[in-house]
Amino acid sequence: MPLSVKHDYPSAPDESLVRWAQSGDTEAFEQLVFRHRDKIFARAMMMMRNEDQALELSQEAWVKAWQRLAQFQGESSFATWMTRIVINLCLDQLRRQKRVRTESIDEMQEESGGVERQLPVADPNPTAGLEQDELRRRIDEALGKLTEAHRTVVVLHEFEGLEYKEIAKRVGISIGTVMSRLFYARRRLATLLQSLKRERSE
Amino acid sequence: MTLDLQAYVDGELPSDRRQAVEAMLSGDAEARELVEGLRRLSLLVRSHEPEIKVPASREFYWSQIQKQIDLAEREEIRRPAGFALGWLRWLVPAVGAAAVAVVVTLRPSREEVTLAGTFDSAQTESSAVVFRSESDGVTIHWID
Repeated sequence: MPLSVKHDYPSAPDESLVRWAQSGDTEAFEQLVFRHRDKIFARAMMMMRNEDQALELSQEAWVKAWQRLAQFQGESSFATWMTRIVINLCLDQLRRQKRVRTESIDEMQEESGGVERQLPVADPNPTAGLEQDELRRRIDEALGKLTEAHRTVVVLHEFEGLEYKEIAKRVGISIGTVMSRLFYARRRLATLLQSLKRERSE
Repeated sequence: MTLDLQAYVDGELPSDRRQAVEAMLSGDAEARELVEGLRRLSLLVRSHEPEIKVPASREFYWSQIQKQIDLAEREEIRRPAGFALGWLRWLVPAVGAAAVAVVVTLRPSREEVTLAGTFDSAQTESSAVVFRSESDGVTIHWID
């Protein structure tokens, strides 16, 4: 009769949980889900801006992770690996919905107007004096006002830390388009944050 | 050049272009202002990533995942049988067609005509006709 080993899951590092999960331990996998579920859901939510879809895609990501766990060799952290899975699912979903498109007014302006030099941030610190939580909320709100195409490059670049080349590959656009979308998105974000500051001072 | 300034801030410029941008920045106040603005904004966004929590309890969230994993595993177990049946569905007619082709090929043809890519209807009076196109490397056995 095999000896049953009871691990201390809550205090085990990710590497151990992954190793146990790779040998079929669902309790170890559940602990990984518990530990990283908010980050994975948040990433899906940032990409999709729809709670139901984000919930569904984040759960699908966990199912895929379980199925592909043998492929995870620890080249990156488990959280990074998981985030990449959910991002790929979100990008696939956005493609299916044809929501990453170029015909929005914002993008037409971007394509036809080129990029101007100035960021519309007259104030050197448009968010000065805001509490951290309030600031997070304002940034989330501003991100929500970007088009999906623009938000996608911001999320992949600023939060995922992906290089232009990698973003181009994942989204299926040229590096030049990544650069112009990123610039346009930043300019919009700066404008939005500036207007939030104005609203606050009124 | 504006996108070069952004690429400079993002650390995406190769060294030769980075040096060119740095040289340009020293004499261009407007460009310096843009670089600073981009840096500030990037830092602000990165350091204030929105914190969003799963709108479900740990138990419920996990139970949904577990259900999908179980379902996928059950389908995986069922798949080999289905896969084999799928092959059989193709295999039976394929073997039949191959058998017919072998019989037709081995059977001494009563008439063979070689046409350069066209079919002569006058030849169809026979019960077995072979159409062969040397140029296309194609042979067709026609059986009435």
